[in-house]
Parts: sequence; structure tokens; C-alpha cells
Amino acid sequence: MDMTKLTFRISGLALALAGSIAGTAFAQDHSLGALYPMSGSNAEYGQIFSSGSELAVRHVNEDAMLPGGLTLQIEDSQALPAQGVTGMNKLVSVDQIPYVMTSFTGVSKAIAPIGAETGTVMINGGGVGPDLAELGPYFWNIIPLANDEMRALVPYVVNELGLQRAVLIYVDDPLGQSVLEVLEDLVPQNGGELVGEHSIPVTAQQFSGIAATVRTQRPDVIFIASYGAQQAALVKQLRDNGLDQQLASYTSFSTPTMQELPEAAGALFTQQYIDREKGDALTQRFFDDYIAEYDRDPSIYVVNYYNAVMLYANLAQYVDEQGQELTGENLLAARQAIGSFEFVGSTVTFNENGTVQAPIEIRRLTGNSGSEAVTIVE
Amino acid sequence: MLILQLLLNGLQTGMLYALTAAGFSLIFGMTRIFHAAHGATFVIAAYAYWHITSLAGLPWWVAALGATMAAVIFGAGLYLTVYRRIQRSEASFFTVFIAAFGAVVVVQNVISMIYGRGFVSSSTPLSRAKELIPGLYVAPLIWVSVAVAAVFFGAMALLLKRTRLGVAMRALADNPELVRVYGLDPGRISLMVFVIGSILVVPAAIIQVIATGANPAVGHHIVMISLAASIVGGIGSLSGAAIAGILIGVAETLALLVVGSQWTEAVSFLILFVFIIVRPAGIFGRAHAH
Repeated sequence: MDMTKLTFRISGLALALAGSIAGTAFAQDHSLGALYPMSGSNAEYGQIFSSGSELAVRHVNEDAMLPGGLTLQIEDSQALPAQGVTGMNKLVSVDQIPYVMTSFTGVSKAIAPIGAETGTVMINGGGVGPDLAELGPYFWNIIPLANDEMRALVPYVVNELGLQRAVLIYVDDPLGQSVLEVLEDLVPQNGGELVGEHSIPVTAQQFSGIAATVRTQRPDVIFIASYGAQQAALVKQLRDNGLDQQLASYTSFSTPTMQELPEAAGALFTQQYIDREKGDALTQRFFDDYIAEYDRDPSIYVVNYYNAVMLYANLAQYVDEQGQELTGENLLAARQAIGSFEFVGSTVTFNENGTVQAPIEIRRLTGNSGSEAVTIVE
Repeated sequence: MLILQLLLNGLQTGMLYALTAAGFSLIFGMTRIFHAAHGATFVIAAYAYWHITSLAGLPWWVAALGATMAAVIFGAGLYLTVYRRIQRSEASFFTVFIAAFGAVVVVQNVISMIYGRGFVSSSTPLSRAKELIPGLYVAPLIWVSVAVAAVFFGAMALLLKRTRLGVAMRALADNPELVRVYGLDPGRISLMVFVIGSILVVPAAIIQVIATGANPAVGHHIVMISLAASIVGGIGSLSGAAIAGILIGVAETLALLVVGSQWTEAVSFLILFVFIIVRPAGIFGRAHAH
């Protein structure tokens, strides 16, 4: 090969490489961050959350909603605060991302000071600790928090079902602690009695001893505040150890694992109400495309993290139209200016503290990979 | 009655811990390889059993056989392809540890990719407790666990004391150079240790899938329990691992009588610390270092 040809080829290669780098830079004009547990015993949630956000990114890019396209950068939080902080620091300091989707109460509380200090929007669609409502203007929740969910569930269980003796088994972390505090107030207020409370370590997997202790307390209903593989193991062992009482929990029971677990059949859980028959194109497209891709109904977490991405796209469009820089501060101002947003199955307005109000649906696991609506509490 | 109930529940947990720790203790005691990937062998056996019974719908004994094959292939394969090469290059203990730890992470991710990251379990009447006498619930799995542990530990005791392979394995633990002088191949004996150690984890993996369920990340927890039971029992002592596993399982459960449920796991490590301080060689360990 003569030198001229070689020079041309190298130049061509360099140009192609430069083009590809430029293209990458352009495509990364809009980057979203996410702190999901992609490994460890809660990795199932990461899979669920990312399926919702990735579908939304696909829709945003298909519709060319944002110039240059939208990319999603997921950091593995392992559902642990320390790993969450590491991931958040990377997203904010290295990648300069102004909008981060977060999950899990402990992780969210740990990253909140970083977001507040750097003016980064943090949006939570999975954690439900009530104090997530108090993490400042840059922390938004698009999932009802545990106090709202329990406020719907406890009166139904205690008054309507007449199950007055309650036991709580809760994971020893900020989520579990907050559910304990809520139930300590709500159960007596509704005429019931919290006859036992059992805290379990985050890593615990053996619960036959706790089952034996719970049995001696003769509860009518067992509330569970855990998540991931642990809550499935807990439910299985409670049932295997002869406890056939009503089980009740929060959104965490909506995962495919819990829906497919035979021992969880009959368990009650709460989640925000989604009107699948809302009739708008966004809702229809979301359900059609999700079911086509995954061959099952999306859980509420999928809906939330889809909505979180679509919310960013709407806010970023607004900021672009205003000719402003894409910063957390301007995204917050855009949210406050727009006011109301079309989400999958609902229209939402944010409260002053960054939470959204939504009707709560009480559902029952059917034991055959699904759940059925029991009632809706406004 | 609660004490008796907790004692029985603790016994079942203890059997699971004992069987889990036995393979780890055997491998570490005989070969001095810190086989952190024992947890990965456990995960592979658990998922193989679950796949064959729950997905393929085949009988439990076919699944047990399949799980055993999968565990042996992984355990022996890891020894041949990773540990032996590292040992040949005379790399440090930590190189082996990092390689083993890496294997756990790789297995966790591969299992997650194939089966998802959720929880799996096999439902069988064996795990359903029945009320034997008022207030006392016992699952048949307790008796199965005790019987399986007795058979496996009995067989291992016979193997180690009455067979040429057992003598060779014990000799390997004592002095690998002397084994070579006698014309035996330490590599071949180590391979057999890995095969047997991997087989030992299979009943524990099956009991776990039936009794509590499993997930791809369970391997780390298994290694922690194995390590604690092996140290308390005395490194390399199968009877020590068995007694320590049962001791930890029963203590964890009985602790519910005196401390809150969030402290039960800490009890295992309290026992470990007590032994490290009072009797560092463990229950049946010998007080000398290699």
C-alpha cells in the first residue's frame, strides 16, 4: 500500500472517529441519571425501575421530543445508602446531570443533601418513607408515601375487615422505622391494637423463629414492611410455619416475585390508583408497548419511572423553549410554572413539598401471577 | 412451648448452616484455598434444583442429581481453571481470594441474566409445618434435614477415616510436600476435595430453596455463615463445622427469647468473636498454624 492511500485511510478513519465522538457528544446533550439497585438482593427492583425508564427514553427519542436525543445513565445503588451516595456524586460531579431518579428510602435520604447543595433535581418513584416529603425543594416524590398508603389500608383492614389485633414485621432501616411510627398511631386510632412489632435486619433470611413468636401473639393481621427477596422469603416462611392470618403491605408487594409466590396469595397491598382506561394516547401507548415487550402487565413502579422520564422531557422542552440553561434550578422553576402534568393513567399536580396526591388502591394478590382491585380510597 | 418451638426451628436452621459450612471447611482445611466461591456453588446448585423441579417439572431426585452435577462441574472447574493456575504461579492468598470473590460476582450476574433478579422457591408439602401438639408446629423438612445431615456427615467420616482417599486428603492438610514424597499427586487430591466439598453444599442448597427460597445474591450470605461456622468449629474439622452450624442456628433462634429480633444475626458473630478470643482454634481445631 502506498503512503498516499495509507494517509487517506488513516484520515478517513480519524474523520469517522471524530464524527462518532461528535455524534456521541450531541446525543448526550440530554442525560438522565438513575440510582437503581442493579445487584444484590434487591436487584429485581432495579430491573423493574429500569424497564419503565428505558421505555420512556425510547418513546422520547422516537418522538424526537428533545434535540440530540435522551440518554439514561444508571448507577448501581444496591439499595444501600453508601453506594447511593457514591453513584450520586458521580452523576452530579463527573457527569454534570441535573435530574436524577432515585429509589429506596435510605438511599434517597442519603443523597438528598448532595442534590440540595448542587441544585440537582431528585425524583423518587419507589421509596415510601414519609420523611421523603421533607427533603427540600429539589426532592420530588411521584409515589404516595407510606403514611398515605397506610392511612388507606389500616381503616380498611381494622374497620371493614374487623381484623383488630395487628403485628408488624419491619425491616430495620428508615423505611421500616417510618412504617412502625405510622402504624403505632394509625392502628389504635382506628380501634385496633398493635400487639407485636418485630424488627428484622436488612440481610436476614431465616424467619421461622419470628413466625413462632408472632404465633404466640395471636394476631388477626400481619403487616409487613420489607422489600425484595427478603419479603418473599418472609411471607413463604410465615405461611410454611402455619400462620394463615391476613397479610398486608404496601406497594412493594406489587413486584412480579410477590405476584407469582403461591404463599402470598390473598395478601393485601396498596398502591397509587392508575386509571388504565384514561383514554389518552400516552397511557395507551405505554401499556401497549410495555406488554408487547415484556408480555406482562407493568407494576406501579414501572409506571412511576416511566412518568419520571416523561416529566423530565416535558420540563426540558419548556426550559429549552424559554432559552434557559438546563439546570436543576430551571427544571424546578419549570415544574412550578407548568403546574399540572399528564402522567400515565392520571393527571398530577405537585404539592408545595414536591409530593403528589393520588387516590390509593387496595389490591389483593391472586396467587396466579396477578392481583385484583379490592377498593379505591380517595 | 415457645422454647421447644424455637429449639426445633433453630435445629432446622442449624442443619442448613452445618451442611453449608461443611464443604467450605473441608476445602479450606485440606487445600488451604479460601474458596469464597463456595457461595457461588451454592447458588448454582440451588438454581439448578429449582430449574429442574419448577421449570422443567421433573422429579426431585432428578433435580438433586442435576444440582449435584452442576455444583461439581463448577467447583472442580474453578479449581482446575483458576485456583490451580494461581497456585502454580505461587501467587498470594489474596490473589486466590480475589479470584474466588470475582467468581461469586460473575455467577450472580450470569444467574440474574438467565433467571432474573427475583426470588425463587420450590413449594412442597415438606416445608409446611403441622401442629404436632397444641402450639408446636413442625415441618417434615426438619426431620429430612436431620437425616440428610446425618447421612452426609456419617459418609464423610467414613471416607476420611476408612478410605485411601480420605487418608490422602488428611495427609494433604498436614503436609502437601510429604504427600508428594510418597508419590501421590497433591493436585489430584485437591481436585477430589473440591468435588466432595461441592457435593456437600448441594443438600443445603436444596433445603434453602424449599424452606426459605433463594436469589442470585444469596452467595455472599452463604460464605459469611460458612466462614463463621468453620472458624467456630475448627478449620478443616467436619464434625466441628456440623456442631458449630447447629450451635449458631439454634443460638440465633433462641436469642429471640431474650433480645429483639433485629439482633438475632448478630448472635452468630458474637459467638464467632467469643471463639476467636477464647478458643481461636475452634471447637475441634488444632492449635498450630500451617
